[in-house]
Amino acid sequence: MSKFWLLVKQLYTQKVKAKSFIFSILLYVVVISAVMFWSDIKEALFKDEPLQVALVNETDADIESLFKSDNDVEFTFPTEEIAAIEKQVVDGDYDAAIFIKDQEKSLAAEIATYEPLTFNDQLSLSSQLQYAGKLYEVQQLNLSAEQAEKILQSETVISMKNLNEQSSTGKSEDEKAAGIGASFLVGFLIYSFVMTFLSMITTDVASEKGSRVLEVLLASVKPSTHFLAKLTGTFLLALTQIGTLLLVQGLLFMFIDNGSKWDVVLDTINELSVGFIGYAVVFLLLTIVLYLIIGALLGSLVSKVEESSQAMMPAMMLGIIGFYVLLSGMYSPDTLLIKIFSFIPFTSGMVMPLRIGATDISSFAPMLSLLILIGTVVLLFLISLSFYKRSVLTYSSGGIIQKIKTVLKVTT
Amino acid sequence: MTLSINQVTKRYQDFVAVDNLSFTIEKGEIFGLIGQNGAGKTTTFRMILDLQETTEGTIMWNEKHINSINRDILGYLPEERGIFPAMTVESQLYFFGELRGKLRKDLHKEVDYWIERFELEDKRKAKAETLSKGNQQKVQLIASFIHQPEFLILDEPFSGLDPVNKDLLKNAILELKEKGTTILFSSHQMDNVEELCDHLCLLKRGVSLFTGSLLDLKKQYGKTKLTIRTDISKEKLEKLDGVKDIQVGKDQYTLTLEDETYAQSIFDFVSDGKYIEKFSLDYLTLDEIFKDKVGGTNV
Repeated sequence: MSKFWLLVKQLYTQKVKAKSFIFSILLYVVVISAVMFWSDIKEALFKDEPLQVALVNETDADIESLFKSDNDVEFTFPTEEIAAIEKQVVDGDYDAAIFIKDQEKSLAAEIATYEPLTFNDQLSLSSQLQYAGKLYEVQQLNLSAEQAEKILQSETVISMKNLNEQSSTGKSEDEKAAGIGASFLVGFLIYSFVMTFLSMITTDVASEKGSRVLEVLLASVKPSTHFLAKLTGTFLLALTQIGTLLLVQGLLFMFIDNGSKWDVVLDTINELSVGFIGYAVVFLLLTIVLYLIIGALLGSLVSKVEESSQAMMPAMMLGIIGFYVLLSGMYSPDTLLIKIFSFIPFTSGMVMPLRIGATDISSFAPMLSLLILIGTVVLLFLISLSFYKRSVLTYSSGGIIQKIKTVLKVTT
Repeated sequence: MTLSINQVTKRYQDFVAVDNLSFTIEKGEIFGLIGQNGAGKTTTFRMILDLQETTEGTIMWNEKHINSINRDILGYLPEERGIFPAMTVESQLYFFGELRGKLRKDLHKEVDYWIERFELEDKRKAKAETLSKGNQQKVQLIASFIHQPEFLILDEPFSGLDPVNKDLLKNAILELKEKGTTILFSSHQMDNVEELCDHLCLLKRGVSLFTGSLLDLKKQYGKTKLTIRTDISKEKLEKLDGVKDIQVGKDQYTLTLEDETYAQSIFDFVSDGKYIEKFSLDYLTLDEIFKDKVGGTNV
């Protein structure tokens, strides 16, 4: 076995058996499963009593039929006096009472409560009342039930036609919704993997340097071999973690709840284009490589392992910025901020998949962003390789800038 | 000639770490590099190991430039100890052996031999981080020569070892020498250098103060250290010809003579033709010579 592969094997076997590595995979599985099965978990653990609502219709119209009871809200239609019903609300027999009356041919509703309603309950009641209000006004026009229904159910069919041939064909809303969901998942995975493996490689190089075992290693292998072995070993660990995660998660989805969530995953994948998946994978892998290079370089600068968290802070900040920009684009993925950060190599991995998945974007933009990312990876690799040779055996105190100055001073 | 360092200088922006250093080491020889902290020992080692480049001068191994040789013939124990904390003793030794180009199957015998020799049998499967400092040091030491290097560099190998382990190490170094390994080592403990080295180089702030055989260095000073046990008072001894200095010990005096030729007349005076318990004329110890050369400060 060559020295390069010996170093890779040593790093890989040591880390892959570490409890923290296995634990982190389990943690990912638990978090992703909790998100996917949230509605089931919520139902099982926090089964709420439906909201008790008394509805008093003071108009002549048949409005009661519009308010159907379900798991969340149970409507009753008492005929007592208003004061009596209000007392029942105060006593807690009802959570709310709705008094509906006519006000100049429009519907007016008053919601009386003793304990304030939650925002969601309030929203749900309001939307039902709005619908009832529209129906009431349509009824005033003396239309037939079918005519009224037609007006209320009317929906404009909107399709997109993109006249720019350079740009990809317009996406449907479903595609965009799937794109946003998948982009968030990709962005989140890139962010968390980048942070995990950045930390791993920085700490690993720093601990070897701090414990001086690096001097022994570098007496028999070239610094460039060591640098490449660290990158390769950690990258293989990242692939192992991603692979294991996908496998375990996939199996869980397939076998729990008759594969209901597996169908959701397949549906989402079907909504996504091959281009999106391809780009997402390439951006994921390249961004991990980019941050590994930075991590190894930062690790080589510190004198002892305790300084590694301070050293990796600048790279962590870049990752966090990317993640926050991604979050900002969850509801409007077309902002200028998103566009700018989708071309910056340290954040493009998190932001560009969102633009590809959730917006109508020309094929040129992702390609350009990818080229910038590849160019940065290559450039940073060459710079880091040359700097690593000099920094890895230089011990100095002070902040990162001071350490870089010292390395330049003692090696030039 | 095996290793030859020719007028090597290592200059940084604002100071010179090694200045015009030259020495040679013959095959199978133990060579000591001694000097205070910051004298340039580790820098010299790093230049030999190609971890740092020389500013001027050349380092040759068997007439070939050191940068062009196969590094597997080298073994190195750095001054500050470092091993992989989460690896077991055994796998650590195999890893370093394989890294130095040996096949795993060829290492079994060596690993077993040295583990037993350094009394680490019960620690074979223990993780390095669970070992005592002394045992960690032994593991790292074995790791530095498990691949049977032609040339072994040991930076402060004795520091932190107890007397029993020091003897183990000393014997191991002599055994390696017998097998033909060329050894270069640095030490603050002059007694070890004195016992082991054939030749040495004395460094002060990057400059060589002496390079050559230990005996030649001692001969430079001559046999000027005289230890006697007598009832004669210090005042009387001080007045004798050729006595530079007197140190009073528990039950003896240590005189420093200007020249060893004065010893005969002092012997005649002290013994007065009768039996005398102790009269010993010696070379200065390396420790004393070192202090004299570098200015009496701590080693």
